[in-house]
Amino acid sequence: MLLARLSWAYLKKHRLRWALTIAGVALGVAVLVAMRLANQAVLSSFQRTVQGIAGRTQLQVHAGDLGFPEEVLERVQALPEVAAAAPVIEAALDTGLPGQGYLLVVGVDMTGDRSIRDYEFDSGEEAILDDPLVFLAQPDSIIVTREFAERNGLGVGSRIPLGTAQGTRWFTVRGIMRPGGLSQAFGGNLAVMDVYALQYVLGRGRRFDRIDVALREGISLEQGERALRQALGPGFEIEPPSARGRHFEAILRSFSLTLNITSLFAVLVGMFLIYNSFSVAVTQRRAEIGILRALGADRSTIRRLFLSEAAVAGLVGALAGAAAGWLMAQWVASYVGRLMQEAYGVVQNVEGAPADWRLLVGGAGVGVLASVVAAWIPARAAARVDPVLALQKGRHQVLSAGEYRVRRWLAGVAAGGAALLLTAGRSPAWFYAGYVLIVLAALWLTPALARGLARGLRPLLAWLRPVEGGLAVDSLLQAPRRTSATVAALMLSLAMVVGFGGVARSIYDSLVEWVETTLNPDLFVTPNAEIANRTYVVPAELGAEVERVPGVRQVQLVRSARVPYQGVPVLLVAADVAKLARTVRRRPIEGDPEDMHRRTAAGEATIVSESFARLRGLRVGDVVELPAPKGLLRLPIAGIVRDYSDQQGTLLIDRALYRTWWDDDTVNVIRVYLAPGASAAEVKRAILEQCGRGRRLFVLANEEVRRYIFRLADQWFGMTYNQIAVAILVAVLGVVNTLTVSITDRRRELGLLLAVGGLRPQVRRTIWMEALAIGLIGLLLGLALGAVNLYYSLEMTRRDLAGLSLDYVFPASLAAWLIPVILGAAFLAALGPAAAAVRGSPAEALEYE
Amino acid sequence: MSRRGLIAWLLAGAAWAQDARQIVEEAQRRSRADSERYEGTLEVIDARGRKNLKRWIYLRVGSHGNSKAVIRFTEPPEVRGVALLIINHPERASDQWMWTPATQRERRIAIQDRSTRFFGTDFSFEDLEERDVNQYDYRMIGEDEVEGALCWKIESRPRKTRASQYTHSLLWIRKENYTFARIENYVGRELVRRAHYREVQNVQGIWTPRLIEMHDIRRNSRTLLRLEKLQYNVPLKESEFTLQALRRGS
Repeated sequence: MLLARLSWAYLKKHRLRWALTIAGVALGVAVLVAMRLANQAVLSSFQRTVQGIAGRTQLQVHAGDLGFPEEVLERVQALPEVAAAAPVIEAALDTGLPGQGYLLVVGVDMTGDRSIRDYEFDSGEEAILDDPLVFLAQPDSIIVTREFAERNGLGVGSRIPLGTAQGTRWFTVRGIMRPGGLSQAFGGNLAVMDVYALQYVLGRGRRFDRIDVALREGISLEQGERALRQALGPGFEIEPPSARGRHFEAILRSFSLTLNITSLFAVLVGMFLIYNSFSVAVTQRRAEIGILRALGADRSTIRRLFLSEAAVAGLVGALAGAAAGWLMAQWVASYVGRLMQEAYGVVQNVEGAPADWRLLVGGAGVGVLASVVAAWIPARAAARVDPVLALQKGRHQVLSAGEYRVRRWLAGVAAGGAALLLTAGRSPAWFYAGYVLIVLAALWLTPALARGLARGLRPLLAWLRPVEGGLAVDSLLQAPRRTSATVAALMLSLAMVVGFGGVARSIYDSLVEWVETTLNPDLFVTPNAEIANRTYVVPAELGAEVERVPGVRQVQLVRSARVPYQGVPVLLVAADVAKLARTVRRRPIEGDPEDMHRRTAAGEATIVSESFARLRGLRVGDVVELPAPKGLLRLPIAGIVRDYSDQQGTLLIDRALYRTWWDDDTVNVIRVYLAPGASAAEVKRAILEQCGRGRRLFVLANEEVRRYIFRLADQWFGMTYNQIAVAILVAVLGVVNTLTVSITDRRRELGLLLAVGGLRPQVRRTIWMEALAIGLIGLLLGLALGAVNLYYSLEMTRRDLAGLSLDYVFPASLAAWLIPVILGAAFLAALGPAAAAVRGSPAEALEYE
Repeated sequence: MSRRGLIAWLLAGAAWAQDARQIVEEAQRRSRADSERYEGTLEVIDARGRKNLKRWIYLRVGSHGNSKAVIRFTEPPEVRGVALLIINHPERASDQWMWTPATQRERRIAIQDRSTRFFGTDFSFEDLEERDVNQYDYRMIGEDEVEGALCWKIESRPRKTRASQYTHSLLWIRKENYTFARIENYVGRELVRRAHYREVQNVQGIWTPRLIEMHDIRRNSRTLLRLEKLQYNVPLKESEFTLQALRRGS
C-alpha cells in the first residue's frame, strides 16, 4: 500500500531520476548479458564447427598448428584398436565472393573419410560424388553446403575463386551437401576438398593438421588413447574433439577476462547509480520518512519500502537491460569474432548471439539483486531517520569530531594492513585483500581530506568571488557527509579511469618498444594477408630468391605457429636466431643477452616471452618440454624477454632445430632488411615481380605492420576506452546528484539568501562554484588514488591476466585531459540544479518547512 | 582391378573331387597365370538408369595371393592418367597407392572400411580382394542350373579369423570348366550383392568370364566389367610395379 501511494507519488514527481535509476540497472544488466552472450556465441560457434566436422571421430591426433608428416597416418591406421583413421587439414580461405568472407575448407581423404563422416548430397552427379576417383583426379573439385550455394547462386559445375598459395585459383563445385551435420559447421560457410589437393593449395607440403580416429567396437577411449600414445610417443596430443573447445577457450582466456571485468564494472556502475539515486531519494524524502515514523511506522517498514522500490526499479531496469543486452550481443559477438581473426589468426564465423533464456533470466536476476543490495545502505539510513532530526534541515549531514577520529583511525589501520599484505603476503588472496583495504582506507579518509582541501580552496574561491566563493566552501564544509559521498564517488571513478588508462598506456608503451626493437625489418614477405594469420606457408627456398633481389641486404626466415604446451596453445617461433641476434636489440628481463642468443642459435636452449615464464612460474635455467612429432623436445630457458606475439606466451627456437624436430622446412614470414640507400617501395615491387609470380605473396612495409599492430591494440583497448567513458559518466552523474541533494537541503537557506537581497546570479554562481570545488577535490583525490590503483592494476596484469610486468608510468596526459573534462562536466552538472535553485520564489522556499 | 581377384575365391577344387573345398581349390588352380594384361571397361548403371563409363589398362605380375598390379585409367578424360598400384599379400590385406597426375603425387589408400564401394562401382573393396581359400568353410548345397549351365552350388562362410561384411555367400561353379557362374552375398538373411559371370572364353588355355555383372540389391544399381584384349603370361618386369614406375607412367 505504502509502495503504491508514496513511491508512486515520488516517482511521478521525479520521473527523470527514476529513469536514470532504471537506466543504471539496465546498463549494468545489458553489458553483463551482452558480454556473456557474445562470449558464449563465439565459443558455441567454435564448438558447433568442431562437432559438425568431427562426425564419428572419437579421438583426434594433432601436434598443434604445425601439423605433422604424412607417415604418421600409417602408424595410426596400423593399430588394431583403430577402426578408421582419416587425415584432415582445415583452413579458412578467402572466397573472393562479395560479402562471403571466409570459407572453412576441410580437406579430407574421400577414399576413407566416409568411415568417419557422413556426406549427404543434395545435388550433383551421384556417380561423381560417390566416386572419389573423379573427385581426387581433379584437384579443383570442391563440395559446398546448400546454404553457401544458395547464398551465392551456385550449382553443380559452378566455379568459385579461392585464395591459394599459388594466388587466386578457380574451383569447380562438384557437389552440394544437404543441411545438417557437417554442413552446419562454420555457419554453413563450409566446403570439402581432397586433403592432398588442399596441401598443394596451401603450400603445406606432405603434412596433415590432424588425424580423426574412430575406434573399433569394444575399445574404450582410454584404451584407444593409450594405444595411440604408445605408438606415437609424447610428441602428439591425443584428445577427443571436444578438447579443441578447451584450447580455443585458452586462447580466449585473456579476452574473456577482459569481458568479465567489463561486465563486473558495468554491474558496479549500475549499483553505484542505484545507491546514488536512493541516497538522493532518502534525502529528499527525509521529511516524509520523519512523518511516517512519527505516525507509527517502524524501521523495518521504512526499510522494506525503499527496498521494494529498489526491487521494482531493478526489475524494470533488468528486463529492459536483458533485452538491450541481447541486441548489443549481436554486435559484440561479431566484434569479438573479428578480433579473434585479426589478433589470433583464428577465423570464426559467428552468426550473431542467440538468446539464451537461462542467461537472460540470470542477468535480470543479477540486476534485481544488485539493485536491492545497492539500495540497502540508503534504505538502512532511511530506517534510522530520527523523526526529530528529519525536520531539522542539514543536521544529518554533519560529522562529529569523534566520527572524524574513528574514520582516520580506521583508514590508518587499513592502509597499514594493505602495506603489510603487499610486502609480506605471497598468495593472490593476500594481494587482493590488500587492494580492498587500500580502497577502504581511501573511503574512510575522504571526509577529512575533502574538508582539508575545501578549506585550502577557500582563499582561491574567495579571491575569485568573495561572496559566492565563501558560501560555496561553507556549504561543502557544513555538509561533510554529502560532500564526501560525491567526492568519494568521483574519486573512485577517476581512480578507475587512471587505472584502466595507465595499464593501457603502459601496454601501449611496451608495445611501441617491442615493435621498435623486435619488429624492425624494412619489409615483411608473407603468403598471408594478415601477419597474425598463418594459414599459408611458403618453401624456405623463397628466402634465397628474395635475398637475390637487388637492394636486399639480409633476410631472416621465420616459421611460427601455435603448439600445445601442457594442454594450452602457445606460440612457437622458429627463426634464424644468430641473424636475429644481430638485428633485434631487445634487452632480456632475465638472462645474458649474448649467452641466450648463442645457446638458442646452437639449438641448445630456448628464449621465452615473459608471459610464458610468468604464467607458468618458470625462470632461466628451467627446462621446457615441448611436444614435437619426433618426440619430446627438452630445452632449458636461456633468456626471458618481452614479447607480445601471443598472450599465452612465446618460445623462440632456432630454425635448424625446428626442421629436425618437426620435419618441416616451410616459413610463413620472411623478414627483409634493405641495403643502405635502397628504396623500400622499389624493393617491394621487385620482390613481387621476381618472386611473386604464381604465388600468393604479400610484401608489407614496416609501417604497415606497425599500423596493423597498433590497430589491433586499439581494438583490444576498445573495451577499456568504453570503461573510461562510463567511469567519467558515472562521475558526472554523481556530481549532478550531489548538487540536487545540496539544493534540496539548502532550499530554505537559498530562499533566505534571496529574501535578504541576494541576487539570483549570485545564487547561481554559488552553486556553480560549489560544483567546481567538488569536481576539483574529487579530481585531486581521484588522481591520487588512481596512482595507487594503477600500481595494483599493473600487478594484476602481471600476476593473473597476462604475465606481463609493465613499467609504472602515470598517465599524465590522461590526467591533464581529465582536468577540463571533470571541471567542465561538474559545471554542466551544476547548471540544472542552479537554475532550479533560483526558479521558485523566496517565499515558497521559506514556506518549505 | 584384378579379374582374378573377383573370381579367385571360387576358383578351387579338383576336377574329380566332388568335395566343396576341393572344387574351389581346383577352380583357383585352373585360373593360375604368372602375369596378365587386359583393357577393362567399367560401366555403372544407377537405379535411375544413368550410366557412367570408365576404361583402364590392367597389368598384373605374380601368382595368386602374391601379386602386384597396376591399373591405369584412360577414360573418361577427367580421370585419365590416374593410376593405382596394388600389392597383394597372402597373409594380409593389400597395399594400395594412387597416383594423380594433376597434383603430381601419389597417396596411400587405406581401406579401413572394406565394405566401402570401390570408386563408385557396385563392387566393395572386399569383393575385389584375393582371398585365401583356407579362410572360409565350404558346404555343398547341391546342383543347380545358371543360364543353361550346370553348376555346383556351394555355401561359403568366413572363419572367425576372417573379418567380413558378409555372413555367408552362395557360389555357383560351372561343372564344365570350373569357372564362376554366380555369387550371392548375404548379410544375415538379406541378399546384398549378386554377381554374374558371363561370356566365358578360353584364353591361352584358361577359361575366363569376359563379362562380370555386379548388382547392388540395396541401391538397385549394376556395374558391368568387360575384359578386352586379355592376355596371360605376358612379359612384364617387376620394376613396372613400383611407385617410381607409377610416377613415370604419367
